[in-house]
Amino acid sequence: MILFLDGGYCTAATDTVCQGGIQEYAQGEELISVKIEDDMDWGSVCRYLEDAHAIVLAADVYLDSVPSKVLRFLERVEQAVIGGESIGGRFYAILYTELYEGEQTSVAMAVLKNFCVHANITWGRGLGIGGSKVQTNIRKRGPWRFFRRRVADFKASALQEQALFIRERIQGTDAYVNPKEVSRKEYIRRMNQEMKKINRAKIAQNM
Amino acid sequence: MKVIVHDLQEKSWQELGMRLQEKDIVISEDRRCAGGDIRDVIGSCGQLVLISRCVFGGFSPFVQGVLEECRRYFGPFLEMRHGQTHYEVRSENRNTFGMVCCFYGDHITPMEEQSARIQSVSDGISLQARGVKIVFYDTVEKLRQLNGIV
Repeated sequence: MILFLDGGYCTAATDTVCQGGIQEYAQGEELISVKIEDDMDWGSVCRYLEDAHAIVLAADVYLDSVPSKVLRFLERVEQAVIGGESIGGRFYAILYTELYEGEQTSVAMAVLKNFCVHANITWGRGLGIGGSKVQTNIRKRGPWRFFRRRVADFKASALQEQALFIRERIQGTDAYVNPKEVSRKEYIRRMNQEMKKINRAKIAQNM
Repeated sequence: MKVIVHDLQEKSWQELGMRLQEKDIVISEDRRCAGGDIRDVIGSCGQLVLISRCVFGGFSPFVQGVLEECRRYFGPFLEMRHGQTHYEVRSENRNTFGMVCCFYGDHITPMEEQSARIQSVSDGISLQARGVKIVFYDTVEKLRQLNGIV
């Protein structure tokens, strides 16, 4: 069983590729999805953690760390392990940033690895995805329309690769990806263009 | 003006005996600050002091939560700095305030210390601080030494 921990990846909210993709590429293996929240059913979470052969955490990275609610959750897991809980599954991470460079998730990745050491969980592999906003900004007439296919592919193929590691229960070198087909400058230009449009719409709404 | 964000219990904080001026602002679990206010105070401070338990080589959930609320400190736009994309800082306080990151906790491993240092510097770059000072203490009591730093 694969335990998918949704740590809040709002910048990729329309990115159904993530959870669905992992399930698809994992070839029918049971996938249980749990949203990390303060009022989780902790009994069920402990059971899932114990039974899972792979634990996949997907989260947004902001200011070089995973969200505070994820940190709280990880501390709770560490305490459960200290209290006698045994977690045999490998830990895989999928971290998103709306900044262009996937590498900007590497500090958060290090934090997750440190957590694994504390909780005695084997690290599987980390995937850091930059330019995560690309997918949510896609519109038929939007600024991303020319890149639609290629940009979608860069995430899908990275997730497919990650899913293979998860399915085969193997460790791998962490990978960091970004939408290479779109240059950094172009990405910034288009993101800011989209943001200006949103701002204008907000102002018009408030008038 | 100093802005101090800490995750200490009120008793431990009081015991530190930090020398504060009237204008200085302290943000803690007991003295929370609204999101918009955090942006304003960081946007006008001369020094930002983060006192945090070292959690897996990063800030504690509380301090990280405060940093998340700083989102409004940034403009909605991206810009290129040091060859990387960053959020544009819309405050006038760019490159004028110093940042002190103070981590405490026993058994901080070398790996954790390294990632905490990198995160501190990286956050300093994101917030466009003038400089970043990073210190580690293995006990809460030793945090008193901060008086000579901030």
